[in-house]
Amino acid sequence: MHKRMLFVFSSILVLVLAVSCGGGEPKNELPPGGAAPSAGGPAAPAATATVSGKIAFEGTPPPNEKVQMSSDPYCNVHAKDYPTLETVKVSDGGLENVIVYINNVPNATYPTPTEPVEIDQENCHYRPHVFTMQTNQPLKIKNSDMTLHNIHAWAEKNPQYNVGQPVKDMVNETKFANEEVPLPVRCDVHKWMGAFIGVFHHPYHTVSKGGGAYELKLPAGKYEVVAWHEKFGKQTQMVDVMDNGKAELNFTFKPDSKPTD
Amino acid sequence: MTVHEEGENVGLHRFALFTACCTVFLIFVGGLVTSTESGLSVPDWPTTYGWNMFTFPLSKWVGGIFYEHGHRLVASFVGFLTVILAIWTWLKEKRRWVRWLGVGALATVIFQGVLGGLTVLFLLPAPISTLHACLAQTFFCLTISMALFTSPGWKRGLPLIKSQAESIPLQTLCATTTAAIYLQLILGALMRHTNAGLAIPDFPLAFGRIIPPFTSDKVVIHFAHRMGALIVAGMIVWTFSRIARFYSDYRLLYRPALTMVVLVGLQLTLGALTVWTAKAVTPTTAHVATGALVLGTSLLLTLRAYGMVVVKMPANFRGAL
Repeated sequence: MHKRMLFVFSSILVLVLAVSCGGGEPKNELPPGGAAPSAGGPAAPAATATVSGKIAFEGTPPPNEKVQMSSDPYCNVHAKDYPTLETVKVSDGGLENVIVYINNVPNATYPTPTEPVEIDQENCHYRPHVFTMQTNQPLKIKNSDMTLHNIHAWAEKNPQYNVGQPVKDMVNETKFANEEVPLPVRCDVHKWMGAFIGVFHHPYHTVSKGGGAYELKLPAGKYEVVAWHEKFGKQTQMVDVMDNGKAELNFTFKPDSKPTD
Repeated sequence: MTVHEEGENVGLHRFALFTACCTVFLIFVGGLVTSTESGLSVPDWPTTYGWNMFTFPLSKWVGGIFYEHGHRLVASFVGFLTVILAIWTWLKEKRRWVRWLGVGALATVIFQGVLGGLTVLFLLPAPISTLHACLAQTFFCLTISMALFTSPGWKRGLPLIKSQAESIPLQTLCATTTAAIYLQLILGALMRHTNAGLAIPDFPLAFGRIIPPFTSDKVVIHFAHRMGALIVAGMIVWTFSRIARFYSDYRLLYRPALTMVVLVGLQLTLGALTVWTAKAVTPTTAHVATGALVLGTSLLLTLRAYGMVVVKMPANFRGAL
């Protein structure tokens, strides 16, 4: 009886060790991407009109939260130039990293770009901090650091995505099948690392750059334009543009603008 | 030098005790993982970033990985201890039910490890994470039971005490208190893993009131945990009062009862600090570990009460203190 039980114990022990010792070397695997959306509707109208403007910031920008990086010696050395979060970035009176898009999208089938969008982990920060892409467009995730990162997409309308990148220059690729704005991304190893993605089924979206400047290419029509910022939330305005026409549409955020979404 | 009777196997008892102590440490380390939000910093399992978890380089234990990978290693160590404990008990223990208790502890720790892996692979779903937290407490109870049942004192037979013929027997009172603590730990785990720890941001009031507006499930869970704390504290004080009044001469009962009162006082303070510091890592994690200690102490007291207090004295009553 004792011998038989000893055999059972030994088998369990071997099984547990075998499971826990799985793997040997880290592998660079591509995760499965999201499914392609079903096609339908007329072809996408030509985007000949231009809506551009500035996302202005009025008042004194609130200071960004300081970052404590001592938990990773690599980051402590290589991210010295980025001692704070990148939540509020104001240049020439304009707010950067604002996602600008339209709400009432013309009913059409929008082709999915095959060119991947890239996010890099460089000096323990995401580059870019905010970006947009289309549903099912490939997202290339790169680690340019000599330290480990995990890239964790805290999706709600898409399956969550969490992969580790322990090796420098490691690349993974994924896709998001559903629209989601914003889709937050975080590194659970380095808590300060965060990014936001705007995933749309159409191409009418962009992110404000230096000086808060943005430009949207749209088909002729009347649109509700949305500007979303991670700290100050959402603003909307209407715009009417003709074929080959141009329209200027400016937004203004203030320190006391509250997140609305 | 203490002389032990044949069959006492003090070594096994000490090993079981050591396993129980390591389990408390493991619960603390596991609590740290949640408190530092590091649960997904190692996205794969059972490997660690593709490495065999036991060969993962120390230089790569950075940021949240330190907590998550550290938790996995401490858990593996406790698992290994449990394997030894189960084998040792099976080979040396004469009481069949104790041998099977060891097997139960081993099965529990294996299931617990699998749950830990699943919660990572499924990105911390609240039901699995909560079950993982609750099973940790259950496993701790098993290790305490093993330590108690293998102790020389238990094997020789605890001193018997005549019940004071209370309306609720001491054993029942202790068991009810232990059950209440366990339920409270389930609520605590649920609160923690549904991110409801600050659903009510003030303390001792709740949104400035005694009864908060129940605007979300999180508020309900959080408030239930606070009410549970009151009930548990009341049960513990009641148990202690009973023992202090009728059984204060019996150290085997009085000491754990007193310890439990001190621990629950500490636990209430840590709970308040958790809210006041907006879930700072140290008080929050200490709150988890102290909760386990309260449960363990209450279980110990309950088992001793069942072993000592008798309603009707047997013919060979020894009556020792």
